[in-house]
Amino acid sequence: MIELIDRENHQKLYLQLLSIIKKKIEGGEWPIGTQIPTEEDLCKMFAVSRATVRTAVLELVREGYLKRQQGKGTFIYKSTVSDGIAMVTSFKELLFEEDLIFSTDILARTVMMPVDDLDARLNITPNKHIIYIKRLSLTGNEPVLLQESYIPYHICPLLLEDDIENISLLELFEKKYGIRITRVRNHIDIAYLSADEGRILGLPENSAAILLTQYFHSGETLFMYTRSVKRPDRFQISIELERKAI
Amino acid sequence: MSNGKVAKDVMIGIFEYPHVPYWFSISQAIRIVKVSFISAKKYPDPMAILVFDEKYNLMGTLTLKDILKGLEPRFMKPTTKAQVPAEDESGLSLIWDTLFTQGTKELAEKPVSEIMTPAKQFVEPGDPVTKAAYLMLHNDLVLVPVLEDKKKFVGLVRMIEIFDSISDAVIKE
Repeated sequence: MIELIDRENHQKLYLQLLSIIKKKIEGGEWPIGTQIPTEEDLCKMFAVSRATVRTAVLELVREGYLKRQQGKGTFIYKSTVSDGIAMVTSFKELLFEEDLIFSTDILARTVMMPVDDLDARLNITPNKHIIYIKRLSLTGNEPVLLQESYIPYHICPLLLEDDIENISLLELFEKKYGIRITRVRNHIDIAYLSADEGRILGLPENSAAILLTQYFHSGETLFMYTRSVKRPDRFQISIELERKAI
Repeated sequence: MSNGKVAKDVMIGIFEYPHVPYWFSISQAIRIVKVSFISAKKYPDPMAILVFDEKYNLMGTLTLKDILKGLEPRFMKPTTKAQVPAEDESGLSLIWDTLFTQGTKELAEKPVSEIMTPAKQFVEPGDPVTKAAYLMLHNDLVLVPVLEDKKKFVGLVRMIEIFDSISDAVIKE
């Protein structure tokens, strides 16, 4: 059902429209990466003027929910906007500054024991089971990002059954399981692709790639370690920090 | 003979055993055995690792015997002199020395999928324990997976529980 503008309401029309669009984004009806309707379509959908639509959209761009792409349109950029320090809440937000439209293939979702230094990385004993998720993100048909995530099984056993193709892991942690992300530690480095990684990303073995390792904390608990390798040819990264008002 | 018990009455949870994906190497599996069983002084019967595919379907089991066989391919071959110790003790000592030496480290890098016992036999939660006993004895298995609707892996039946259940009935009767 389409929520309409209430003309009896004394709130400004653009603010009402802004609120409706924000709900669609935050509720996932308009997912991250999708293009929003054109100004003309929004005018028709909500029976408002072009000026009202433009003001609402501009405000949502300013707030970080939408991003305009020259010659392409306006896209959903974030589903939540944090206050205080602008914390990275999605891999997409960190790595896909310009690559908004992409899909994700789940290459593996299984359970394993920690090998090599995984127990130390996850701060668990070596006899604990881990959920292992391997995903490939694509822009169009081009593979761009290979991510391997490791989550202690006891933290979120139901993750084995969730729809992780369409919902980000962090969204599931926060919205479904109530695991609030309080800290993300990021390391960015250069990696040389293994034969398997190269095959998946369509690059020769030992090609240089961007390596991002991330440690996700909720309070004192480290609940996920992620290793991501990205093709270097379209790399762009931006991190915004905002000082919280004292 | 089994007090009417079914698989779900005697099965144990799958997390009693370590899990690995099929692409793990034998050496990685060895480290898991050491950490999960030997260092932890935990000796379940059988001592085994469960091997899964990328969609978390059970592919097979890996016992200590499977691992040792995988590290020494001569064990996979038909009878050799090394397996007939009565013949010539002095010569055999040389043969024993060559076991687990030549190429063993290279073999340890093979994926576990090449040496595991594939999981082809299973029972449903409502199947009688006698069926599980039959499958174990007939196929020389140490564990039988319990699958719900032939798909969801919900537990394991081991020989100890099967034995206990069947022998109880024997003694009582």
